[in-house]
Amino acid sequence: MADKQNPETGGQATVTLTIDGLTVTVPRGYTVLEAARSIGINIPTFCWHPKLKPVGACRICYVEIEKFPKLQVSCATVAMDGMVVHTNTDQVKNGRRAVLEFILLNHPLDCPTCDKGGECDLQNLTFAHGLDDSRFAFQKYRFVDDDMTTTFDDKRIGPEIILNRNRCILCYKCVRANKEAFGEYDLGAYERGNITEINAAPGRQVANPFSGNLVEICPVGALTNTDWRYKIRVWLTKTTPSICNFSSSGTNILFYKEDHKNKIYRVTSRRNDDIDDGWLADITRYSYQVITSDERLIKPLIKKEGKQVPATWEEALEVIKKRLNEIKDKKGGVCIGGLASPSLDNASLYSFAKFLRRTFNSNKLDYRQDYRMLPKDTANNYSILASQPFKIAGIDDSDVIVTFATDLLREHQNEYLRVRKAFNFKKARIFVANPYAVKTADVAELEMVYKVGTDEIFINAVCLAALEENLVACPDRADLKKKIKPSSLKDAAEQCGVAPETIKIMARALAEGKKVTFIAGELLTRCRDREIIASALCNLNRLFGLNRKGQIAVLARYANSMGAVKLGISPEPVPALKKELEKIWSGLPDTEAYNTDTMLVHMKKEEINGFIIMGANPVMLYPDREFVKESLEKLDFLVVCDLYETETTALADVVLPLAGWAEYAGDYINLEGCRQHAEQALKPRFEAYPGYEILEMIADKFEKKLFSSTEERESEIDRLLKVDTTLPWPDGFVEVKTAEIEIEKDYPLALFLCDDPHHCGHLTEKANSLVNFCGEAYIEMAEEQARAYNLNEGDSVRLESPIGKIIVPLKISEHLDNQVVLVPRNFTSHPVTSLLMRKRRIDWVRISKVAE
Amino acid sequence: MILNDEAIAKIKERVGLYPQSKSAILPALTIAYHQVGYLNDKVYKDIADIIKVPCVEIAEAATFYTMFPKEPVGKYLIQVCHNISCALLGADSLISYLEQKLEIKKGETTRDNLFTLVTVECLGSCATAPMMQINQDYYENLTREKVDKIIEELRAKA
Repeated sequence: MADKQNPETGGQATVTLTIDGLTVTVPRGYTVLEAARSIGINIPTFCWHPKLKPVGACRICYVEIEKFPKLQVSCATVAMDGMVVHTNTDQVKNGRRAVLEFILLNHPLDCPTCDKGGECDLQNLTFAHGLDDSRFAFQKYRFVDDDMTTTFDDKRIGPEIILNRNRCILCYKCVRANKEAFGEYDLGAYERGNITEINAAPGRQVANPFSGNLVEICPVGALTNTDWRYKIRVWLTKTTPSICNFSSSGTNILFYKEDHKNKIYRVTSRRNDDIDDGWLADITRYSYQVITSDERLIKPLIKKEGKQVPATWEEALEVIKKRLNEIKDKKGGVCIGGLASPSLDNASLYSFAKFLRRTFNSNKLDYRQDYRMLPKDTANNYSILASQPFKIAGIDDSDVIVTFATDLLREHQNEYLRVRKAFNFKKARIFVANPYAVKTADVAELEMVYKVGTDEIFINAVCLAALEENLVACPDRADLKKKIKPSSLKDAAEQCGVAPETIKIMARALAEGKKVTFIAGELLTRCRDREIIASALCNLNRLFGLNRKGQIAVLARYANSMGAVKLGISPEPVPALKKELEKIWSGLPDTEAYNTDTMLVHMKKEEINGFIIMGANPVMLYPDREFVKESLEKLDFLVVCDLYETETTALADVVLPLAGWAEYAGDYINLEGCRQHAEQALKPRFEAYPGYEILEMIADKFEKKLFSSTEERESEIDRLLKVDTTLPWPDGFVEVKTAEIEIEKDYPLALFLCDDPHHCGHLTEKANSLVNFCGEAYIEMAEEQARAYNLNEGDSVRLESPIGKIIVPLKISEHLDNQVVLVPRNFTSHPVTSLLMRKRRIDWVRISKVAE
Repeated sequence: MILNDEAIAKIKERVGLYPQSKSAILPALTIAYHQVGYLNDKVYKDIADIIKVPCVEIAEAATFYTMFPKEPVGKYLIQVCHNISCALLGADSLISYLEQKLEIKKGETTRDNLFTLVTVECLGSCATAPMMQINQDYYENLTREKVDKIIEELRAKA
């Protein structure tokens, strides 16, 4: 509701009115409905949604306002000073009863077979108003499609949505949310009068990445989810509050489950305005199926004579103890390293680090499984940028928003919706800069597609525009000019392929903006030259004072990436954190620290011999698959814990079944540093254990208990989380080096790895509902590009890089318009990382048509 | 594209007249209807491409307005008003007379593809009820004889 503050009307900022005899003061701009709800007076609604603009379509929220001749809809009536409102008089009750009678005219009253029964607004209100008969004596209007054989008009309008038009009361909430909040145009309301209907757009399916929300906000049973339909009644389920494990925002969710079957049936939102606004991405909604799938690892596996065979936990732990001890005795503990998934909870991550550092005196551990050549310590501009504070809700009231080097819809869907919201409600000016066109640009004032590999030059150009146009006061401008190349806007603009005029407009907006949010994302983090780009961004920040009048940050990507940083899972934690760790453990290992990349290199040289991987799948996700595979194969001993058998577990000597996030209670730290708790919804399935318990069991075998008690573990984590890990900005401007971009002859296209909007990482392929949205990899390219190669949608395309090739079907993009191709990395069947070269900045590829 | 160059040019010209291209949906639909004779998903898609508005918005507007036929109609689309004033002055018997005369039911098209008969709500010509609209022209103060004459003339013209 705070969305509607900051009135532009001037005068008083609040109004005072009387509702049912109670006096209430609310910000100007609040509706009567919001004012009533703010003091706990409930007014029923169908079409109203707290995050959408009011339309007054259903009329059920009638109230009586003194001096108004007729009943008013409270959802669309703005509260005014001195209003006297009654919400419960006979007139109001009669009005609502009449509205209900009209709504029920054509309603099929099939509650006994309707999945909404028990949580249906219409059912509840009808019951409350005691309507038990209808005066409507004619035949009800029935929607029945030609291809329907039953009287139930159940129609699949999307991979996971069933529409029943007869139950629909035409509140238009789904259509409005789809267009307004999500910017998607695959659902509409057609015809008029009696035969008005909601349906998918002509020739399309409702398959957008937020489609699950449409079902959740439906006040009746017109839209239902295929995962929930006919499975269970809502009153037979229990709910458990939890946190999404596939987004870095930590979207708040509720699991609906049945205890005696140990089964989750669905996920709905647990609205938290500071984080998610009550919208869930489909990944969040359907990823519970990753846990409930029957393909899960059932028992530990031990490799015997080259084959993995099932074993008991005791056997597996004995083997781990024996083999790791052999390595430790022969070569020293420092030859043992580890990689943990940044989606694990705090306790597991912290136990992981403590186990490796304390038991083996090793500093060879990391949580980053998909970024090439990351820095191993934090003395760099990239780490400074990534450590800056960020507030998701801070996007809402920003007047200028820049998204740079990020495809929000594929990486940060929650923030994507926030940017749209800032545009819709606050008319924020949005600027999108990326090496390829993205969907966020729908709401952008300007979209700047700069040439591949010129990220830092683009940022330099923005700085130069500010200097040349005198947009900001900058005492050491000569210093800045010395440190960046080229030194004029004209040259820089030409190099990055964006018109200087366009860059000037953006620079002016950054200078004039009262609150600026600057978001950078995966394309920066994944880039080999992230340090160079980050340096350019440090200059940009200093020049425009962005962090002082807003926020600038590289968004963390995974559910607990921030937790991993704050608990020191990286090879060289932040100095302040190191000091605290030293205090807690009375000393830290002084051995050499390796990050993921150096660990893999040293495995290949047989200098790391034992390795523990928890929840990660580097074979699938780390650039250059062959390199990773060869490295892991060189190991003497590899332990992998995961929910499923993966490409990485296939190489392991011991595989341990890991419990999923819904199977244990845990804390996660989202991208803004907010610590959130997820409760345990299920008992671990099969023989799986949570990460921290597995580590505890292994540590016990080494007779070096990790913690004397759970409380000790929690208090150590608490102490670490209190450490401020924000790094100070550099003094003065920093030098932006010139990057060397390799050009591959005969490989003209730049390949960008991405996540499909319905997938994240390596596990979501196990969720059936998500596979229904997208079950196969594709190569996405501009229509013009496809035509140049004489390719049509769905054609098989051979995608080649200097080191590998894969064959994928073609998808013609609605957005792309330059020589760039995108391939999602989430599908086992298409190992796209095998095309990537480890040390490259740009992955050049070529394509050709596969003959039939 | 179903739309011809002339229609496309006309639609493009209209888009420029409004601050929002969305406002050009109805004029565009009218232009398309005059060229094609009816509207369907393919026409919506064409218009969407020309005026750069999501296809679903065009379909929503088009289906809301009953004035646009959504499937092929005869050369002459006869729309008889059956609202209150016309009904009081005999619209119902006029409609059944037309059904009889054209040997079709309302909503149908004659076999020679000449006439399509539909009933519509008030066309705003109550003072001259009963009335009907054939393509763009009003025919008012109707009697059976007048209807005979009109149909004959149209047959002759075709």
